[in-house]
Amino acid sequence: MQNRLYISFVLVVVLALPLVIPRNALAIPSFTRQYKTECTTCHTIYPELNEFGDAFLKNSYVMPSQKKAEAVAKSGGKGQTQPQQSGKSEAFWLSGIPEVLPVSLTASFDLKYEKDAVNNDKTDFSTRSINLLSGGTFRDKAGFFATYALYSQGTYDPNDRFSPNTPGNNGNRLGELFVSWRHPLDIPVNIKVGRLVPKLTLWKPKNDIITTPVMAPIAYKVGSSQFTEGSTVDALEANAILGNRVFMAGGVVDRDGQNEKEGYGHLSVKIGGTDLLGREPEIDFDRDSIWDYLSVTIGSYCYFGRNASLIGEVADKSNNFYRAGADLDILYKQIRIKASGVLGKDNNPFFFPTAASLRSKALAAEAEFYATSNIIGAFRYEYEDGGMGIVRRLIPAISYAPLENTKLVLSYKHEETPEDINRIALLGLTVSF
Amino acid sequence: MRRVLPVVMLLCLFGNSAHAGLKAIGKGDQMQLDPAAFPNKMKERYLLMKFKCAKCHTLERTVVALQTGIAPISGQPFDRDATRAYGIKMMRKSGANMNKQEIKEIIELLNFLLDEAAK
Repeated sequence: MQNRLYISFVLVVVLALPLVIPRNALAIPSFTRQYKTECTTCHTIYPELNEFGDAFLKNSYVMPSQKKAEAVAKSGGKGQTQPQQSGKSEAFWLSGIPEVLPVSLTASFDLKYEKDAVNNDKTDFSTRSINLLSGGTFRDKAGFFATYALYSQGTYDPNDRFSPNTPGNNGNRLGELFVSWRHPLDIPVNIKVGRLVPKLTLWKPKNDIITTPVMAPIAYKVGSSQFTEGSTVDALEANAILGNRVFMAGGVVDRDGQNEKEGYGHLSVKIGGTDLLGREPEIDFDRDSIWDYLSVTIGSYCYFGRNASLIGEVADKSNNFYRAGADLDILYKQIRIKASGVLGKDNNPFFFPTAASLRSKALAAEAEFYATSNIIGAFRYEYEDGGMGIVRRLIPAISYAPLENTKLVLSYKHEETPEDINRIALLGLTVSF
Repeated sequence: MRRVLPVVMLLCLFGNSAHAGLKAIGKGDQMQLDPAAFPNKMKERYLLMKFKCAKCHTLERTVVALQTGIAPISGQPFDRDATRAYGIKMMRKSGANMNKQEIKEIIELLNFLLDEAAK
């Protein structure tokens, strides 16, 4: 009976939200403000990138194929036509300062149902987090991006009578903070420096329509090692687009507490579809071809690292590890298939006095169906072997964006671990403005 | 000076439409073209464009691009190459719900409108 009431409540909320949310709201984040374009220029449903969004990201947040601005920049800012033509203030342009304060916020709320919840809180409504995001360019010569968690829900302590009536803050935390110098000295390479997610997989870790969790190859951990492919690191990365359809990236990572550096490399090729400079494919309007709609992207990567247990900020027992992975992204009309696999080896992931190595692997496949421009259905399968037992997950989800800046995701996670089976239903609401 | 100012203001008001060869009606989000003088085939295509394209964005964006020759968001030239590229982009966009034939007709309409704007 209680379950029926709960399901009815969820359905009513999902169906009623579009009626109560105003259709003409213009609450949209910083790139939209800067470029005066809608979210769907770069996203299918926020935050998943479409082909143009991927080109925008690879172009360090400058509109792909934007030649005029670069020409003005090359002339040392003497060209006066660009700011005037585009309606931008010349003072801002010459100073290299974004005309609009490049800041936006993303808030998320969720309603979780877990039948076998350990703390007996089967139905949990949570004001989950609010994040500050910033991104933009300095006169098209450099791009920047930052994320900062202002609040993420912590624990609720009913025994502390002085605490507020709600869970506390899990702590402020810097996510990414990097600058990307575009084409230094006119060399077609971008140099990224700062705290960033190393370019390994084809997709940015959280750029998926399924709110949580991140795909297994990106998120899995081995032993006591903190390393995941989706973690941020302090790094210097160089990346470049070759021949419009090949993307290469490589970087050096500095991990605190040790002198040794870590390194990574990425290579991907896109066949068909919009090229990596954002240019549309040539299409013959008098003849049908499968390549009218098909695009295939294949990527591979490797990461060589070393982490250690610390005693007084000095490395103690060390763990040398590597990850080698391959990805596939296929888009055809309204169907998108993503597949990802990674193999890894850690020579001492538990930081034992005597090294005990572990091999690991993780696989994931996700199918998405774009029913309309604002409804996407998805189904993901994951297989994860972190060396201590196999975990399998099945995650069906449906994502609905009543407005481009507002997203509702209803997902179900069926997870089989060596110990038990977890079943979690999650209704998440995300708003960006 | 008091006599000159109203005249200058009046000239400014007519400045835009005099510069553009296309007659736009309405302002802002409501801006659209007046297809009264279009050939019948182009009138049909204009209705198609109005029905399909305006589902996702205003026609103001298209009208401004046609009148100025500059795509308002990218700042790139809006010429025949651009109409073809935008057409292909929209055809491949998820949820755009436009087939190849419809896109072909809209590109032909945009090229016709570019020619009209240049007159």
